[in-house]
Order: sequence, then structure tokens, then C-alpha cells
Amino acid sequence: MPDLSRRSFLKATAWIAGGITIAFSARLIKEKSVSVGPTLEFPNAESGKGWLQVRSDGKVHMLCPRMEMGQNANTGLAQIVAEELNIRVQDITLHYPTTSETAPIGFTAGSLSMMLFSKPVAIAAASMRENLRCRAAKINKISVDEVIDTEGGFVILGSPRIGYQDLVTDESIELDFENSVIPTLYTFDPRRIKKQVGQEAEPRGIKDLVTGAPVFSGDIQLPGMLYGRVIKPPVRKARLKNLNFSTVQNIIGFFDIVRDGDFVGVVCRTPGSLDKAVRSVIIEWELPEPINQEKINQLLDINVALQRGDLPSTLQDENHNPSANWDVDLEFAVQLQTHAMQEPRAAVAHIEKINDIERINIWTGTQDPWAIKRHCADDIGFREDQVEVHPMRMGGGFGGREHYEVEQDAARLALATGLPIKVQWTREDEFRVARNRSPSSHRMRLACDHKGVLSNWWHAYASGYVFYSRSRLPDWLLPFKRSTAGGDFGVSRGAHPAYKSPSIRVEYKEVDLPIDLGVWRSLNGAPNTFVIESTMDELARQKSIDPVRFKLMNIPDSMARLGNCLKRVETMANRNPLPAKSGYGRGFACGVYEKNSFVAVSVDLHIDHEARKICIDRMCCAQDVGMAINPDQLRAQIESNLVWSIGMALMEKVEIGDGQIASNNFHNYMIPRMSDMPSLDIDIIDNPIIHPSGAGEVALIAGSPAIANAIRDATGLRLTRLPIKYTDITALGSL
Amino acid sequence: MINFQLNNTSVQVDIDPDTPLLWVVRDHFKLKGSKFGCGMGLCGACTMHVNGEAVRTCTLPIAAVQGAAIISIEGLGTPDNLHPLQQAWVEHSVPQCGYCQSGQLMSASALLQKNPNPTDDDIDVAMNGNICRCGTYSKIKSAIKSGAEVMRTQESIVETFDPASGKSIVKEASS
Repeated sequence: MPDLSRRSFLKATAWIAGGITIAFSARLIKEKSVSVGPTLEFPNAESGKGWLQVRSDGKVHMLCPRMEMGQNANTGLAQIVAEELNIRVQDITLHYPTTSETAPIGFTAGSLSMMLFSKPVAIAAASMRENLRCRAAKINKISVDEVIDTEGGFVILGSPRIGYQDLVTDESIELDFENSVIPTLYTFDPRRIKKQVGQEAEPRGIKDLVTGAPVFSGDIQLPGMLYGRVIKPPVRKARLKNLNFSTVQNIIGFFDIVRDGDFVGVVCRTPGSLDKAVRSVIIEWELPEPINQEKINQLLDINVALQRGDLPSTLQDENHNPSANWDVDLEFAVQLQTHAMQEPRAAVAHIEKINDIERINIWTGTQDPWAIKRHCADDIGFREDQVEVHPMRMGGGFGGREHYEVEQDAARLALATGLPIKVQWTREDEFRVARNRSPSSHRMRLACDHKGVLSNWWHAYASGYVFYSRSRLPDWLLPFKRSTAGGDFGVSRGAHPAYKSPSIRVEYKEVDLPIDLGVWRSLNGAPNTFVIESTMDELARQKSIDPVRFKLMNIPDSMARLGNCLKRVETMANRNPLPAKSGYGRGFACGVYEKNSFVAVSVDLHIDHEARKICIDRMCCAQDVGMAINPDQLRAQIESNLVWSIGMALMEKVEIGDGQIASNNFHNYMIPRMSDMPSLDIDIIDNPIIHPSGAGEVALIAGSPAIANAIRDATGLRLTRLPIKYTDITALGSL
Repeated sequence: MINFQLNNTSVQVDIDPDTPLLWVVRDHFKLKGSKFGCGMGLCGACTMHVNGEAVRTCTLPIAAVQGAAIISIEGLGTPDNLHPLQQAWVEHSVPQCGYCQSGQLMSASALLQKNPNPTDDDIDVAMNGNICRCGTYSKIKSAIKSGAEVMRTQESIVETFDPASGKSIVKEASS
């Protein structure tokens, strides 16, 4: 593939046609990505990238660097541009590029958008503003200091207002500020009274969503498009044993069956006929690696692992004393959970021949369109420049859309038939193929002195792979990455203690489980925080110390923001007294996500013996992720996380049945519904002098342990296996 | 040949009679607002009004809607003329990913036709068949209440089912 520079990419696509465009900086992270690995090309702190343009009509245009899945990151970035350019966020025109229209941009994952993109975008916009200011000064033959900001332009004493349109012509100009001084960034200026940043902004595209506009990949309709489905094997590595499609020809609307080794695809003219055609195909699989819950439990058993000695990976090891006088010693089991995003994945693929060269276009909702492009080229034998991915809005992502999967189905069927193909996964396909959050098995021991000051900390656990799961990297590279110390950061996420203890050991074992796993909201952040916060709560209660006081006592000064969240959530919780009745309880938990996002949650609940249910009545949350660029969207992310924490604590579990995943729809994988909702009180701690950190997977980590701690408060029972069911409480004979 | 009303227009379609209504509306009539979510009537993403009732259309065979009045999200309001609930959804910034929201709006609007002043429990019952994986429930509830208030206090758009003509009628009416 010709090595198009970022600049020529933009020229080739006529983005730099007229007006002033902020040029790409050469100072991008030059991490050479593996051709079929995830896309990791993020802007560095000073590079502006080529996403911003002021056209001759004065209008500002922005190329959106983030994929949309409900987090509204591009709205937040547009607020920054608006702040720097003294315009309104709604006046910015957003463009969503295909993979051929810009150079690769790092995948949308890990709640990195505001953290990694806010400053580069602010620098780009501020540089644009200062260039325009220089132009205004030059035209008016005055010094730049005399050119004062106003909405959408500048004012000069004694002259009419100068709009941006007065300063830009049709001539195409690229600004390259690589070696220039970074101008004042209004977004990051704590003294500035901000008009856009920190304000609520209507999420871009919201009217499309409430009126049902076709914005998802499944909504794409191409002329002559056919409907395809690949029959999914029940477990990974299954081999096709028998295939009988003798009656499929009788189905009205049937078009073709595509077979290549273990790949079986059915293509029909309508989606209705596709369901019937697939049902008529009789298929038998050979399962070389049948799965069952018992085997997974054995592989993960933390006590068996510990009996063999130290676990293979050590996260922290300071003055460890395995025979300390442990005050609490608890074992935890965290369940297999899935994303169950609302939209079962869909992709449309179309191969066309232009000047004798075949090109494939793929419309799909993905967190990593450039990885899809590379994987697709590799898979169907095209060069990368023959593949163009059109990223569509995702109907939920949550880490579940980083692999080349439904796109593969569509690309292969389009290649086989030569016609445009839409593949819409069924809900069952989603359950079978999803890269679920690994189950894990933990043992956690703590000791403290008589005042409640922690003395010993020992957390050992076993988990399946999280980030370096199957096909994340080529087979030859995967074992190497897995064996590198700390290689799979997904497994260790959330296991660093937020508390101080003179003796600490955190160790873990990564297990290759016979099920497909991957990245799920917070990676292992939620499971590890659940374990830590449950054990801390238990220790406090056993020592008859108030759990909040106990935690505050053990939070080091370096974690003052965490302590602040906990204090504030306690104040919020105390505004509503807990009913002084049996079966009611209140629990607290707090946590740190990825070093810079702090959260605390309180839960009020009661045990309803009539309905045989654990009822969450109220949740309070205080969260500090630094500067609040869009408080309303932060609130939305917190609400979302709290709902997920209810699912994790009380409802969700992927069931494994006879040799395969048994959960296949929402009747046997329960997720929270409207009636499960508590009242929510949310406190967003705006810290405008601190760079924004991620918010997409923060409150979840503290929500689930706060629920377990509230159950402990209500019943006296420490429940350590997720999800916690009403029957767990009655089985243990509470009340 | 199956005849029915789709968003107040008489339509007919010659299709396998057990084809679910959802696919007919999405792929035959090319109205893409109603979504496929589970195929078993468990998640509510495909909800439309059938004779004024909120119905899961992913499991409803087209043969069953012969003569019925169907309203899909496209018939509820348009970007230039939003239904009060759609307006409330915008004002409360309800959607996150947005995939479930057509179905949520159709269930909520069916509720308000019958019950212009629903309690929290009424809302829980009416909306419990609609999953939102992003967890926008709290905002949905707030938006239903403020949308209902607007509809009660102002001239508002109402959709009524007229058994005589077999049509759903969407019109301006004073409450």
C-alpha cells in the first residue's frame, strides 16, 4: 500500500479544499501497529491532527475522531472546539470519516476519548483562533493584542465586528503549528468563565435517534442487496461434521448456500425467508473442546492454584507475610457476563469493480474501524487500500465490538456471491459469539490493628484472558504478549489497592478457558473492586468500626480525591434515613478506575420476602473525573454504570449448558429493566483544574460491592458469589 | 395480499403470511426506525402500535395485521414536528446509543393514550417490556412524566383508533 501521508489523505479526499485547515502534526505516536492488532494511533499531547477547518463562509467543520455508541464523545470534543473558537457547539458541522478519508485513529475504547483527545483538539482549535487573530491584526494593521475575542470573530476598538468569514477565503491554506508556541487553551484555563465547556450540550444527532432515522448499520439498504447469515458453531473450534441442506431449495426467497470448510452461510432475498432457510439446514458439529461449568470452575479454582505455590503474575509484593494473623479471609466467585448490547451486530458488505480493481465497502458499527479494514484485507486477500470501512453508530459497544466478526460474515458472503449482502446477527448469535467478561475466582485476606489501621493485604485470583483473548493478535504473537509481565492489563485492572498497607501482595493467574472471552465494560475493574470493597467492608464490620470511617482511615493522602467522593456520598446517603425496619440495609463502596477516575456509591435496599426479591431503593454516587466537560453526559454515564452494577450484583450470568453456552436471549439472561430501578442521586465533582479522565466505566466498579455491602447490612450475610439471588439469602438462613 | 394502514396510509403487500411485521415495515416499506433486538418479543426494540396497542412486531406475523392500523416511530412525529414525547426525549437527553429508543417511545406513547397521568408504577408496568442496555430508564421516566404533562396541559397530538374506519387517526386535539 502506498504510504499516504496524513496530509495527502486529506487532500485526496478534498477535505482541504478551501478555507483554513489545521494540519496534522508529525509528532504523532509512531507506534507501528501489527497489521491485525488493535489500532493504537492516538494523538499525543501536542498534536492537533487534521480534524478542524474554518471555511470561507466562516463555518467550522470537524472530523469526528471517535466512534459513537452513546457516550457522545464527539459532542464533548465539539464543545471544546466551540469554547476555543468562541462559537456555539451547535454551529459546528460534524463529519464522520470512513477509513479511506483519514489516517488510522486509535480505537474507541477504555474511556480514553476525553483523556487523550481533549487537549489535542483544544490545541488545534486555539491555534486556529490565534491564526485568525493574526490575520485580523494584519488586515487592520494593528497589533494582535488589540484584536479582542467576540462571538464568532473579533472586535477592534472603533471598528465594526470582524467575523471569521471576513478572514477566510476560498484559497486552501493549511496551518502547521508544529513548531509554534501552544496558545492559551481556554478549555484548560481555570480562571475563564466558560460558555461551552462545562455546560450541557444537546447530544449531536439526538433528533435522528428519537425519530428513527437510519443511522445504524442494519439500516443500510443497497440496491439488489441480499440477506445472509453464517451458521455459528456452538463453541469455538467446533468442526463441521454433517451438513444437510436438501430442503432449503424449497424455501421461497432462498438464493444460495456458501460453504468453505467449517464456514456455512445462507443467503436469501428477504430477511423473513432467511430465518426459514437457516432453520431448514441440518447441521451437526463435532466439539473437540466441549465446555461445562464444572470444568471452568476447576480451571479457575483459586485454592488449587495457591496450593501449588505463588501465582505466575505478581502485581504488588511488599513485605508479604503469608502467615499473618488474618482478620478476614474470604473467597469470591465472579460470574461470566456478556455485553448484551441492544443492537445485535449487523454489517453490510459490497464489492465493486472500479477500473478493473475490486474494492470492498463495509458498513458496520465497530469500536475499531481501522482494525476491521486490516483484518478484512487479510481475511479475503485484498490489499488494505481495497477495503473501505464506513463506521456507523453502534447500538451499544461496552467493549464488545473490537473484533472482526460480523464484518467477516458479510465480507465473505459478498465475495462468494458478488452481490451486496447484509448480515444481521440474531440475539442467539450474539450470545454464542460475544467475547464475554471472564469469570474469576478470588481469595482475599486482610488484617488490621486494634484501631483499624491495615497491616496486611493479600489478594490472589484467577481469571481468563481479557485483552489478549483469541484473535486479538495473530496466533504467533498472542502467546508472547500473554507471557510478557503485566501483558494482559485487562486481567489486572482494578487490582491495585487504593488503600495503604505496610504489607501487600497482589498476585494472579491467567487461565486459558475453553470459552471466548474479551473486553467488557471496566475489564476486570468491576470484579476486582467488588472483591476489595466487600472484604474491606467485612473487616470494618468485624472490628465494629463504621465501614466509611474505616476506609477513610486507610485511604492514603495521595488518594484524597477518593476520600472526598466517599465523604460526599455518605452525606448524600444520610439525607434520607434508612427505615428502621428489619430487612433494610445500607452499604458503601468506593474505587479508582485507571488511576485518575474516582467514585463512591451508596446503596439503600430491602429484602422483600413476599416478592422473594432484593429491592434496590436508592443509589447515591459521587464521582470525580477531573474537569466536567459535559456534566449531563457524565450524569448519563454514571446512571448507565449504576444500572450495570445492579445487573452484575443481582441478575446477570451467562449460563453454560450441555457443552455450550446455554443463555441465548433475554429470558435466560436477565438484565435490569425499568422496574428494577432505584431512585438515583448523583453528585458530579467538577475539578476544572484537573485534566479530564475517563467516565464510561467508573461507577460500575463501586456499584456492585455497595449492593453486596448493603445486603450484609440488611441480613448479616456476606455474600461472595455473583450474582446474588434472593434464594442465597434464604438458603443461608438469614432473619 | 395483505392490506393494512401504515402510518395512516393504506398499503398492501404480497408476502409470505408468516413474515414478521417488523421485517415488512423495515425491508419492504423501508422504514428503518423500528429495530430488531431479540426476535422473541423480549426486548421491545421492535414495538409499534397495532390498533393503538403497543405490540412487539418481531414475532407478529403479517397475516395477523390484515385490516389493522399500524403506527411505527416514523408515524409518531418527524424531526420538524416532534411528538411531545419525542420533544421531551430531546429535552431530557434520554438516548445514549439510541437503538432501543424507537421502541421505548412507542410503548410510552401507547401508555399515555390510555393513561394521560401515569404513576411511577404505571410507567414501570407499561415500560417493563422495553430493555435499555445503556440504562437510560431514569431519564425515560422523567421524560414520560414531562411529556405527559405537556400533553395534558396543551393542545396536543393524539392518536386514536377509530373502529368504524379501522384507522388510527393522528391529529391535533385539545385535551
